[in-house]
Amino acid sequence: MKKRVLSALFCSVIGVSMIAGSAVTALAEGVELDVVTTFAGEDSNAKNYQEGIAAYEENSGNTVNDNSATSDETFKTTVVSDFEMDAEPDVLFFFTGADANSFIEAGKVISIEDIRAEYPDYASNMDDAKLPVSLVDGKAYAVPTNGYWEAMFVNTRVLEAAGVEIPGDDYTWEQFLADGAKIKEAGYTPVAAALGNIPHYWWEYSIFNNQTDLAVHTDIEAAAADPSAWIAGMEDVKEMYEAGMFPENTLSATDDETFQLFTQDKAAFLLDGSWKVGGIAGACQSDPEDPSTLDTEELDKYDVTVVPSKGNARKATDLIGGFSMGYYITAKAWEDPEKREAAVDFVNQMTSDDMIVKFAQHSANPLKEAPEADTSGMNGLQEKAIAFGARVTSYTGAAQDNFQGECRVPTFDGMPSIVTGEVSAEDAVAEGFEIYAEITAE
Amino acid sequence: MGANIYKNKKPLVFFLLPAFLFMIIYLYYPFFRNILNSFMKIRQLGTAAKGFNEPWFSNYVKMVTDKNMHTALLNTLIMMLVTLMFQVGTAIVLAVLVDNIGRGSRFFRTVYFFPIVISATALGLLFNLIFLYDKGMINQLLEKLGADGLTDWKAKGIALVTMMFPVVWQYVGFYFVILITGLNNIPEDLYEVASIDGATRWQRVRFITLPLLRNVICTCAVLGVTGALKVFDLPWVMFPKGMPLNSTWLTGTYMYYQTMEAKDVDYGSAIAVAIVVLGIITSKVVNKVFKEADY
Repeated sequence: MKKRVLSALFCSVIGVSMIAGSAVTALAEGVELDVVTTFAGEDSNAKNYQEGIAAYEENSGNTVNDNSATSDETFKTTVVSDFEMDAEPDVLFFFTGADANSFIEAGKVISIEDIRAEYPDYASNMDDAKLPVSLVDGKAYAVPTNGYWEAMFVNTRVLEAAGVEIPGDDYTWEQFLADGAKIKEAGYTPVAAALGNIPHYWWEYSIFNNQTDLAVHTDIEAAAADPSAWIAGMEDVKEMYEAGMFPENTLSATDDETFQLFTQDKAAFLLDGSWKVGGIAGACQSDPEDPSTLDTEELDKYDVTVVPSKGNARKATDLIGGFSMGYYITAKAWEDPEKREAAVDFVNQMTSDDMIVKFAQHSANPLKEAPEADTSGMNGLQEKAIAFGARVTSYTGAAQDNFQGECRVPTFDGMPSIVTGEVSAEDAVAEGFEIYAEITAE
Repeated sequence: MGANIYKNKKPLVFFLLPAFLFMIIYLYYPFFRNILNSFMKIRQLGTAAKGFNEPWFSNYVKMVTDKNMHTALLNTLIMMLVTLMFQVGTAIVLAVLVDNIGRGSRFFRTVYFFPIVISATALGLLFNLIFLYDKGMINQLLEKLGADGLTDWKAKGIALVTMMFPVVWQYVGFYFVILITGLNNIPEDLYEVASIDGATRWQRVRFITLPLLRNVICTCAVLGVTGALKVFDLPWVMFPKGMPLNSTWLTGTYMYYQTMEAKDVDYGSAIAVAIVVLGIITSKVVNKVFKEADY
């Protein structure tokens, strides 16, 4: 008898819990979206992104499983191997250059064109001419949020001490070398750069400066057929090295060390990206994490300006820049009837006009009609960067985004050997293109 | 009945199985897979191989002609010699000295062992500051002493010394502790008898301590030489990408560079195979040279 009562009780408990369980399931609305982005860690938009997710979840009733991580080589590898193992997220914010080739070739992300066939409003606020296109098929897959530019930051205190003017929009290569000599004579380092560690920026501009047609700058096949601009570019960096434009220890220093020369009033110029605005401001804060500790007087010594031109096709105000990252919707989410709309809504909301203005800050934005940027919370250097942006005449993508992995080695990691004359610029460039041909033939 | 419990070995297999499976999955399978990868075309970590290289052994041919690989092998051999001479050598001197002082030996043991517990990455960052070109500790000191100009401690000619100094310094304490333990096992009576016979302090070390420490020294030598093959983190933090001018490569740092930075994953795999082969050969040679004596 006792056993019967107990078993009846047990059955009813199970029955009640099953009913309760199904009620909970029925109550839960919306879908779960797996999202991976680079808005994490010290990314200046990490907070904006989290606020965006919270707003999306509230508006849609959907849940976002956010697996964002800091953008580095490990992150890239994880994303690529997730696609290989069919473990990709539903929405991904990722690079649009050669890094994305493998999963685009495998048909694992959906093009904007295909999405618009079903959702005509998808990314309709974007200027289509600014959408980055894939190297695989020339189609646009990713919806960008904010752009970047690479330009020359100046330490005006050093320039003043050396009697050199802040470069204007018609700054030439000859003026730059002459200013460099003047700065050196005054006891300062003209250019803060670690050629043995991060030669990327000078690599890019030195080639860009020697192009006779800016439109072919990112075309690696064209460069392989006629490498003269690349060779001349490497020779220019060598000329700068021989003229003593770089720090004494440029071949053995790290980027952090040479950046310190710039912030400690020992170097005049720093060629870097729009993301460095935050790094420079951070160097002027007593607590790098707390913007309220910013020493505004110290920050005032910096400005941002053009990169000298060699008088070929490029003007000093033509910059390397554009949109190199964006939101992808994966085929996995697209083919899932429950997730398709949620993914489209998510990207639309994260790339709305308001969100783009918030994310773009002082860098370029991809909108058709960009609203006026709100500069109220910005620091002095961000304001200067916005004013500088208005002087820019064109943005061209970086050739290095299409020239990745092994093929970069002879001219990137091999830059010290080129500038010291151990390897000729011609041989180094040829070796890089040989590897590129091998890889593309596979 | 009771004796049968000990005769039945089957339960032992049950307890050994998890560790065995773990080793198969996380050590032996990746190891053999790595050998296979070294013959294939893999252009990015995480991507599938695009068939075999042509010819399939091309990575091994490349290794023979690769100047950076030659530098890495040479530097690794230098690292082994430096380890033997300075790590084990310094540890012997320190151990004998500490063993001969009456008071404070415990203090010195802690002091010399301490670098071992600090992470190699943290030490790398610390030594980066010590050897920093502009306002580094050594250059500031030299400036105070009236030196003209700054010295680039990471310049090509001197970089290898700058790299090896902290590596040697870090592990001296490890061998020191092993040797001190060996010294504790030498009976005090021998020293007393030698003293009565009129032996000097040096003679006691020369004729009692060192011969009786031989086996411990041999163990340290084997550990030191094989350990030198695996040095990676500290050199990579101080001299990434073989800086400057490819002069500071070690086999470990070059393998990492090829795999993670240059994205030549199959060549990185081939270098890893070479490291294993080099490790086996070296440990065989070292075991033969430093054969332990039977007393």
